[in-house]
Amino acid sequence: MEEKSIMPELEQVFRKVFNNESLIISRGMSSNDVDGWNSLNHMILVSEVEKAFSIKLKLKDLNKMHNVGDMIDIILSKL
Amino acid sequence: MFNTNILHPFIEVVRNYGDNNAFCIAEKFYTYNELARHISKIRKALKSSNHRGKNIGLVANDDIETYASIFSIWFEGFAYVPLHPQQPVERNLEIISQAEIDLVLCSGNNNLFSNVQTIFTSHLEFEELNLVSEPIPDDALAYILFTSGSTGKPKGVPIMRHNIGAFMKSFSEVGIKINHSDRCLQCFDLTFDVSIQSFLVPLTNGACTYTIPHDQIKYSYVYGLLEDHQLTFGAMAPSMIRYLRPYFEEINVPSLRYNILTAEASPLDLVTEWSKCIPNAEIYDFYGPTEATIYCTYYKINKKGNNKQFNGMLSIGKAMSGLTSIIIDEDGNIQGANQKGQLCISGDQLTPGYWKYPDKTAESFFEREWKGTIKRFYKTGDSCFIDNEGDIMYTGRLDYQVKIQGFRIELSEIEYHTRECLRGQNAVAVAFENKTGNTEIALFVEDEKTDSSALSVYLKSKMPSYMIPNKIYYNKKFPLNSNGKTDRNMLKKLIKL
Repeated sequence: MEEKSIMPELEQVFRKVFNNESLIISRGMSSNDVDGWNSLNHMILVSEVEKAFSIKLKLKDLNKMHNVGDMIDIILSKL
Repeated sequence: MFNTNILHPFIEVVRNYGDNNAFCIAEKFYTYNELARHISKIRKALKSSNHRGKNIGLVANDDIETYASIFSIWFEGFAYVPLHPQQPVERNLEIISQAEIDLVLCSGNNNLFSNVQTIFTSHLEFEELNLVSEPIPDDALAYILFTSGSTGKPKGVPIMRHNIGAFMKSFSEVGIKINHSDRCLQCFDLTFDVSIQSFLVPLTNGACTYTIPHDQIKYSYVYGLLEDHQLTFGAMAPSMIRYLRPYFEEINVPSLRYNILTAEASPLDLVTEWSKCIPNAEIYDFYGPTEATIYCTYYKINKKGNNKQFNGMLSIGKAMSGLTSIIIDEDGNIQGANQKGQLCISGDQLTPGYWKYPDKTAESFFEREWKGTIKRFYKTGDSCFIDNEGDIMYTGRLDYQVKIQGFRIELSEIEYHTRECLRGQNAVAVAFENKTGNTEIALFVEDEKTDSSALSVYLKSKMPSYMIPNKIYYNKKFPLNSNGKTDRNMLKKLIKL
């Protein structure tokens, strides 16, 4: 699967978790750029991503996720 | 007490282990010699500054200059007051005003508080080593931490040099032996006192301290440190371990020798599962309010089972050496074994009282004869009982204080700011457990449903992020209980998880 095809769904997940309907995600976006991206919401985000793409992430994967781009790469590697 | 238990051991460590690593911050190592050079340059700047106050504001960044600043401030006989850069400027300005701060140390480049003289510590040049300890009296202040206050303003807890000296002595008697080959975790904000244990115990024993950069997701970064750097000692909050729970099968950290659980009640089932991830670690449950300097009681977990618990929460054990714990009822009578009441603590670790707040001090501290001597006690606000063997069981909070990520929060402070924003509209803040088992805050406003964004922005400008409600609900009329008071339990049932 390609990056283009997962972006809309991933964006929906972000909008839901961070309660922001106008949020636009980009590869370089990190926890510093999104209001409320803390440990708690990160955990919720991970669990919503797992649900949306029917994948299971490992703790080692989480450690590599420093921004949205890392997240996209990891999701793609699991699909 | 302070010099003997903190500054002198630290000077010895620099002398004997100068080339060993003192810190690992954002994957960069700093030796004790480097730390000593940073301390010396900041001391020099403090000496030549023309501030008059004894309390120095410290921007609580995560870097070597910030940690060095704490020691520089202590060597010079001053007290530090942490100002968190991620907290609202208005709250920090309130702290600066209350603590009468006329000098701030900042390791960053931005002038956060333009009205206060600021030394930018990363711009200073090292000239000459200076680790000479001055004869500073033990009753001088060491730090002031500001916690949530019900009046809408943060309240200060001043801790004296002898209080931390006494803490370090009691802690050393617990049996946690740290040496120069240990690698230790420091995962707490500098505005929270467990951070002090987390860097002071390693630094007075020649060990290396590993910190968490502010822009990292804490629980996954901590796991990375534990595994990649094979940490040997660390204090953590149970809520952080709860975040790791879905991944316990992946986690195996045989290097960990000692693990402290603290900052909130520890669920026995969580600890039992976690203990399998750290097969060689001794696990301790430590308890303590800021007013009694970091920790004052502890319970050592028996990994083979048979641990004491109440309602699923581990016992907080017995008072550390030098401290006394009693339980009192509502009229102040000392309770016998197995009788529930308020936990009160006495000993050298107690703060002299709240910072410039005599009414609150009079309310929270009292004197009582205990085993033939008059002792001064602090009322913790925690409901407990002591069992037949002298172990303390924690049963809950007595008031409307809750703990979020280890920070003690007065729900009334959130309600106060909401009322201020909404011109006196009735508001109730309620703590609840979310799907993951962690505590969150919901805010109820007695009004027609409206857009919450202005309220959210206002609250964020007044309070740190951990105090901001995750959910806001509007009710035209609050339900009342039989006493005619707002029924908080009914409101709690309206929360959608």
